[in-house]
Amino acid sequence: MTLSHVHLLLNHVPTVGTAIAIALLVISLIRRSDELKRVSLEVFFVIALLTLPAYTTGLAAQIQIQNRPGVSDVMIEAHEDAAIWAFAFMQLTGGFAWFALWKRRRGGLARGSMLAIVLLSALTMMMSARTANLGGEIRHPEILVGGEDVAAIEAALATNPPMITANQIGLLVTDRTWLWPAFESLHFIAMCLIFGVVLIANLRLLGLFKVWSFPAVHRLLPWAALGFAINMITGMMFMTGSPGMYADNTSFLYKLGCLMIAGLSLLYTTAFEGPWWVGAGQDAPRRVKLVGAAAIASWLGVMYFGRMLPFIGNAF
Amino acid sequence: MEFAQTLQQTALAKWIGESGSLLGYPLFLFLHTLGLATIAGLNAGIDLRILGMAPALKLAPMVRFYPVMWIAFVMTVVSGLALLIADATTKLGQPVFYVKLLLVFAAVITMQVMRRRVFDDPQLDDRPFTSTARTLAMTSLVLWIGATIAGRLIAYLY
Repeated sequence: MTLSHVHLLLNHVPTVGTAIAIALLVISLIRRSDELKRVSLEVFFVIALLTLPAYTTGLAAQIQIQNRPGVSDVMIEAHEDAAIWAFAFMQLTGGFAWFALWKRRRGGLARGSMLAIVLLSALTMMMSARTANLGGEIRHPEILVGGEDVAAIEAALATNPPMITANQIGLLVTDRTWLWPAFESLHFIAMCLIFGVVLIANLRLLGLFKVWSFPAVHRLLPWAALGFAINMITGMMFMTGSPGMYADNTSFLYKLGCLMIAGLSLLYTTAFEGPWWVGAGQDAPRRVKLVGAAAIASWLGVMYFGRMLPFIGNAF
Repeated sequence: MEFAQTLQQTALAKWIGESGSLLGYPLFLFLHTLGLATIAGLNAGIDLRILGMAPALKLAPMVRFYPVMWIAFVMTVVSGLALLIADATTKLGQPVFYVKLLLVFAAVITMQVMRRRVFDDPQLDDRPFTSTARTLAMTSLVLWIGATIAGRLIAYLY
C-alpha cells in the first residue's frame, strides 16, 4: 500500500465523515438528545484528528504523481491550496468540539458553542467539498461536465489565483531565516506544556496523587489542548515550508500514528465517563488505567519519532 | 581549544558522535528532550496552579513531583554531557550554549527555592498563595521558556 493509496482512503474522512457528523448533530438538535450531541462532538474531534494524516499523505501523493503524463500539476496545487483552508477550518471545528466536550462537565452544552460548531462545520463541509472536487479534477476527467476541460480550469485559476496559497505559507518559514527556529522553539515549549499536563492527568489515573479527584485534574486539560493546537499550527508551517522532509519520512509517519493514539486518549480523558468518576482517594478501573498508560506511551512515541526525524527519516 | 578537542577525541565521544548508531547521538538527543519535557512540563504544572489555574487541585501534593523532576534533571544533565563531548569544539564556542546553561541553572534554583519557600508551608492550601509564591511561579515559567528557546537556538547560532 502506497501513501497515495492511504490518501485516497483517508480523504473520505473530512468529506463523507463531516457530512455524517453534521447529520448526527442536526438529528441531535431536533431530538434534543444530549447523548447524541455528545457523540456528534466526539465524531467531529476524531475527524479533525484524522484530517492530519489525510493532508500529509496528500503531500506524499503529490510527490508520487506530479510530472506524470495526464496529471495536471496546476490542479494538484489548486487542490492543495483549497485543502489548507479546509484543514484549518476542520481543526477549528474539532477544537471547538473538544472545548464544548470539556466545558460540558461544568454545566451542559452551551447554546453558543453548539451554534459555533454548526456554523464552523457547515463552512468546513463547503471547503472540503471544494477541495475534493479539485482533487478529482487532477485525474478524473469524467467528473467534468459539458464542455469543461482541465486546460480551461487551469486558465481560470491562473487569471483568478487564490488569496493565499500553500506555497506562500511555506515561503513564510523558508524565506525568513529567523522564523523556522522561532516556530521550532514554540513547538518545543508547547511540547513541554502538553507533556506536563499529560503526565499529571494520566499518572493520577494510574494511581498516583490519589488525594486529587480526577474532576479537579480535568481543569488542567485545556492547557494540553492549547499545546496541541500550537504544535498543530507550527507543525503545519514546517510541513508546508518543506514538504519533502516529511511527506514520505518514515519517522514522521510513526510520529503521526502515535499522535492519533495520543489525540484519542485526550478525547477519552476529556469526555468519557470512566476517568470522570475517579473520585478523591479512589483507584481507577483497569480499562481507565490502560488508557492512561497508553496516553503516556503515545506521547513518548510522538517525542521519540519527532526527535528521530533526521535519523530514522530523511529530514534535514 | 585544546580541552574541547581532547574531549571530542575520546573513544566515548567518537562513538556517540560518529558511530551512526541509533543508540548513540540520536538516543541521547531523545533522552535530553524527554528530560526537558518532564522537568519543564511538571514545573509548569506547579507554576500554572500557583498562578490560579485549576483551583480545585490542592497544591501540596505536587511536592511529590520533585523526585521525578530531579530524576529528569539528572537524565538531562547526563545526556547533555554526552551530546556535549561528541561536539565539544563547536558547543563550547557558542555563546548561546552558555546562556542556556545559565537559564537552566537559574530555573532549577528557582525550583528548589519554591520547594523551601512554598511547599514547606503546612497551611499552603488553606489560604491564598503569597506574592512570593506567585513571583517564583512566574520567574520559573519565564526561565524554562528561555532555557528551551536558548537550547533550540544552539542548532542555529554558530
